[in-house]
Amino acid sequence: MSDERGGRGRGGKSGDKAKGEARPRGGFFRRRRVCKFCADKIDYINYKDVRLLMPFIPERGKIQPRRISGTCALHQRKLQTAIARARQLALIPYVTD
Amino acid sequence: MSQNRDYELVYIVSPETSEQDITDLHTQIEQIVQRFQGTIEKSENWGRRKLAYEIGHHREGTYVVETIRGSGDLMKEIDRRLRVIDSVIRHLIVRVDEDLRVADRHRDARKATQARRRTARGLPPEPAVGERRGERDADDEDDRLEGVEVQR
Repeated sequence: MSDERGGRGRGGKSGDKAKGEARPRGGFFRRRRVCKFCADKIDYINYKDVRLLMPFIPERGKIQPRRISGTCALHQRKLQTAIARARQLALIPYVTD
Repeated sequence: MSQNRDYELVYIVSPETSEQDITDLHTQIEQIVQRFQGTIEKSENWGRRKLAYEIGHHREGTYVVETIRGSGDLMKEIDRRLRVIDSVIRHLIVRVDEDLRVADRHRDARKATQARRRTARGLPPEPAVGERRGERDADDEDDRLEGVEVQR
């Protein structure tokens, strides 16, 4: 797990080989970890774009940590403010239970 | 001295408010903007939307988004006014010029590097449509986000 930190996003297309697919060892399926915003070249994370933000908000309503989503540090920070704004506007819940 | 900057104002009007009152509210804001020598660049009404959580017993609200160019004093005044108006259940003012400028710069830089690298390889600076491998099929797991409308 330790070699798979979140901040590898900038690699972008270079990681084609490691893309998805089950790992031979370890047994379970591990997602490919690229920062979605780097890969899709999204420069401005818009707080009004709920469809963009929604995948980073699991059921509970908390923000998904970088170690799971694979978002790079820069974009996670921007994502954080975007989500905070969207929450203020009731586009995204603060908590759901 | 006050500089002109770009702001985004989003406000949620309570669902009981009539169309007329919403347009009145808009003209009210327009007047404030004019008084402070600002301009409204864009104004859109998203219509009724379900709120993600209750705000003061409301479950729905009408969203209005305005892009305003003006000074900080102007936005301060708008903020103060919106706080007072009861039909506005929530509002948010965000300064956007700086972030958009940074985003533009990033995009331009990326385009420039791409063009430079491509010309170095003897290719035309712009990639032709469908030339790049995996532009669409590489990330099939992101299909749910297809056709996302980005509103700026």
